[in-house]
Amino acid sequence: MRAIRGISVILFALLTSFLSLKAQQTPGEILPVRQITLDNGMRLVILQRPGPPTISFTVQFNVGGVNERLGTTGIAHLLEHMLFKGTTSVGTRNLEAELELYPWMDSAHDSLVEARARGDSVRTLELSERIAQLEDSAAVFIESNEFDHILTQAGARGLNATTTNESTVYFVDLPANRAELWFALEADRMLNPVFREFYSERDVVAEERRMRVEMSPVGALAEAHLASAFSVHPYGVPVVGYMADLQVMSRQNVERYYRLYYGPNNAIVGIVGDLDPDQIEAWAREYFAPIPKAEIPPAVTAVEPPQEGERRTELEFDAQPQLQIGWHVPAGTDPDAPSLAILSSILTGGRTSRLYRRLVLESRVATSVFSSLGPGMRYPQLLQISATPRAPHTTIQIEELIYEELELLIQEGPSDSELQRVRNQISAGTVRRIQSNIGLAFQLVESVALFNDWRETFRYSNKLRAVTADDVIRMAKTYLNRSNRTVTTLVKTEYPG
Amino acid sequence: MRHRVSNSIIPLIIGMMLTSQSASAQTVVRQHRAEEIGFPDLEFEPPTVEEHEVAGVTVLLLEDRTLPLATIYVRLNGGYGLFSRDVYAAVSALPSLIRFGGTDSLAPDSVDKVLEYYAIQTSFGSSGEAVTATANALVQHFPIAIDLLGTLLTEPAFDSNEVEVWRGRQIESVLRRTDDPVRLAYSEFNRLLYGDHSIGWEMNEADLEPRDLSREKLLEAHSRIVCRDNLILGLAGDVNWSEVEHLVEELVDRIKPCSVALPESPIPTIRDEPGIYLIEKKVDQSVIVMAHATDLNLSDDPSYFSATIGNSILGGGGFSSRILSRIRTEEGFAYSAASLWTIPRRYPGLLGAVTSTSPDNAVPAIKAILETMQELVDSPPQSSEVSTAVDAVVNGFVFNFETSSQILSRMMFYLSTDLPRDWLERYLAGVQGVSASSVHRAFSEHMQPEEMMVLIVGNSELMGQELLATLGPVTIMREGEFH
Repeated sequence: MRAIRGISVILFALLTSFLSLKAQQTPGEILPVRQITLDNGMRLVILQRPGPPTISFTVQFNVGGVNERLGTTGIAHLLEHMLFKGTTSVGTRNLEAELELYPWMDSAHDSLVEARARGDSVRTLELSERIAQLEDSAAVFIESNEFDHILTQAGARGLNATTTNESTVYFVDLPANRAELWFALEADRMLNPVFREFYSERDVVAEERRMRVEMSPVGALAEAHLASAFSVHPYGVPVVGYMADLQVMSRQNVERYYRLYYGPNNAIVGIVGDLDPDQIEAWAREYFAPIPKAEIPPAVTAVEPPQEGERRTELEFDAQPQLQIGWHVPAGTDPDAPSLAILSSILTGGRTSRLYRRLVLESRVATSVFSSLGPGMRYPQLLQISATPRAPHTTIQIEELIYEELELLIQEGPSDSELQRVRNQISAGTVRRIQSNIGLAFQLVESVALFNDWRETFRYSNKLRAVTADDVIRMAKTYLNRSNRTVTTLVKTEYPG
Repeated sequence: MRHRVSNSIIPLIIGMMLTSQSASAQTVVRQHRAEEIGFPDLEFEPPTVEEHEVAGVTVLLLEDRTLPLATIYVRLNGGYGLFSRDVYAAVSALPSLIRFGGTDSLAPDSVDKVLEYYAIQTSFGSSGEAVTATANALVQHFPIAIDLLGTLLTEPAFDSNEVEVWRGRQIESVLRRTDDPVRLAYSEFNRLLYGDHSIGWEMNEADLEPRDLSREKLLEAHSRIVCRDNLILGLAGDVNWSEVEHLVEELVDRIKPCSVALPESPIPTIRDEPGIYLIEKKVDQSVIVMAHATDLNLSDDPSYFSATIGNSILGGGGFSSRILSRIRTEEGFAYSAASLWTIPRRYPGLLGAVTSTSPDNAVPAIKAILETMQELVDSPPQSSEVSTAVDAVVNGFVFNFETSSQILSRMMFYLSTDLPRDWLERYLAGVQGVSASSVHRAFSEHMQPEEMMVLIVGNSELMGQELLATLGPVTIMREGEFH
């Protein structure tokens, strides 16, 4: 009985009063973070945290899908793969012998691309075999995967990288006593990469595309949706690249791209864990400061024009239906961004959110509904809603209910309790977000990338808390209208017979 | 050809920003031998897990004052694998409906509102042999979190609308099962090998009739699983025992002793019919799963430790393992490729491999995997391969203590599977006794590439039907055919 009474009291409190929350310093802002900038422009954020003797390392380069052109889409991601292939000293048994083979290989590849364009299948096959032979010859001089091998043996965990629309991040966790090894390997990789095993790795990326897009209903729908929503801005181009572009990408393309975007002045390092900040800073200066500054990479100049009317796209796929709706909204750094984030949460954040209740629990037309802002932060983006219909209900039924709920939200606004629910989740979230070293490292680095201040990511919580019901209504009215939306539906392929 | 693996690192030259083509013109700024970088000893005292007993229930506590958060972990032995198929849906639904189905005193949306108001995070899940639940809250709300968790566990209402939402979601999932070729491959492979054992079960519409989720069936499943004799508790975070003892006592008091003991989980019989099993699907990538049974069990025995290190060398150790090196790095066949060697505590496991590749590379990839396996049957691995795999465990040992959740979940698993509490330390010692010859022995005794059952989901026209037949007898499978 005690439990029941206790919970009744809570519900009463929920209806009659709210937690007193005021703008204040968030738990994140008081973290003892050290932010430094080296003479070559490299920025570092270092945070000592109590805990087991492990350290998380991240390096973010501000380059991703938005820094690509048609014809070489997927190049940022392919470059990410190539940076695990070693350097002039890691991954080779005979550097000179190995390097001698690459011009031959590249020349054969250029000829292959031309032969394929001419439709000369015999010559294409001959040249493919020639490249494979040359790669076999080079393999004799290569110590495959040595970069990975050194770190694995040192006890590393989670060695990997990720390429998004706007950034490429390399990351790993190491036992704290191996920190200097990371500096030595990372500095070497920034200075002396060798793009060995290039053509086989390009095939690997093609397989990755097949896995993530061509075999995946969710991936295929996302790609079609962004392509439909963005006609000018590179957010409409897949980060993994188009297959046709991957098949003609050359080593020289990737090397030029690397020189353009991988200067230390375009890099931000995040190091979080059981560390001595003075020693970490000393190693940073010892290993990274000698790296020469590079040119400032070119800015992204493409601007998506205002959308003039609803766009609708159907994607046929051998899978059950899915729905995705997106509305153009400002960038993640815009003053409207916090209000849009709250709007998104009111719509689909949790089981008491408006769309979850209506679509999943009450009308049972869907099995799930989600919303998000993306695909990036730095440029005008989309507020997206995706839903999975529950047979025999259709995506059209779901759409109608979503638009009804949006209209209702505009008319009546969010209730005080809805806003308070979201604010309370934000408060707890600010604490939960700083639990993991690697999560913190990502967060600090992205904050520096966007605002040149590691604290800004935590201040964002206060901006979210300050959002009012009127702000939410204004967002819905301004952006979530018909002419500004793109609707993409996955429909099951009908095979004859 | 497998390359020699060496741990030597030739001097790292840090010079001008150069690429491979201009390497010969580099300017040397400084020189390092990474291998000469000294590594100080790692000073580390693993955190102490307190063990208490409350009314016969083991309660683990890990104090962690880092953040003002606390979590309670509940493990209830008892999952669908212990019961007959006619309660498969009811037992599978139990965790979800405990969380979402409301209580005798709270409607489902009231539970949601309380959880969201106090920003309490919960998770409910199940495996074939256990049901788990957690609640995480800011420490000032932790008593409310425990109280509410107790209410959810002991007073489930199984609201009919929530039951129907769960049932509808499962039916939709059944409908969408073939959408994802990877999911299709894994579920059909389990069905092929395990037949009517619970590991081979895949929920279908016949399991999901309204009667399968009747209130009576749900209450029966609840009474068999949510009872004190099945319970292990863990608490972690910004709390000590004196602060939580009374909360735990109240929680345990609300969970009544079991009226019937849990049955033993049945021992599976694994199908042994080597060959190629094909599921036709018009896709641009073939999904490949292969395995055969092995009779090795998880125990404090040298053969177990040799098998775990052997699996790391074969294909479980990422880029330092042979299968990924061969299939991805050397051949460019696939984005991912790995071995699997499941070594359960009481019954036989599986030894095999998985990958996905373009149709024209499917047969070459299967042959390459089988060759890689055969090489380890024929000859011992390089000693450097063994040392890499062992070093990865030893040097990375500290990562076993990164989060309190990880530490407590592990301890609770040991307790429920009757492993010694110091199993992790025994494992650390055990792997350090592994040698190239003991790994070779493990593979010689347990791995038989020619005995693999290979399931492929893909387009046989593109893979080449004649080429497929070179691998062995090809059986065309239709979904759900093999029981």
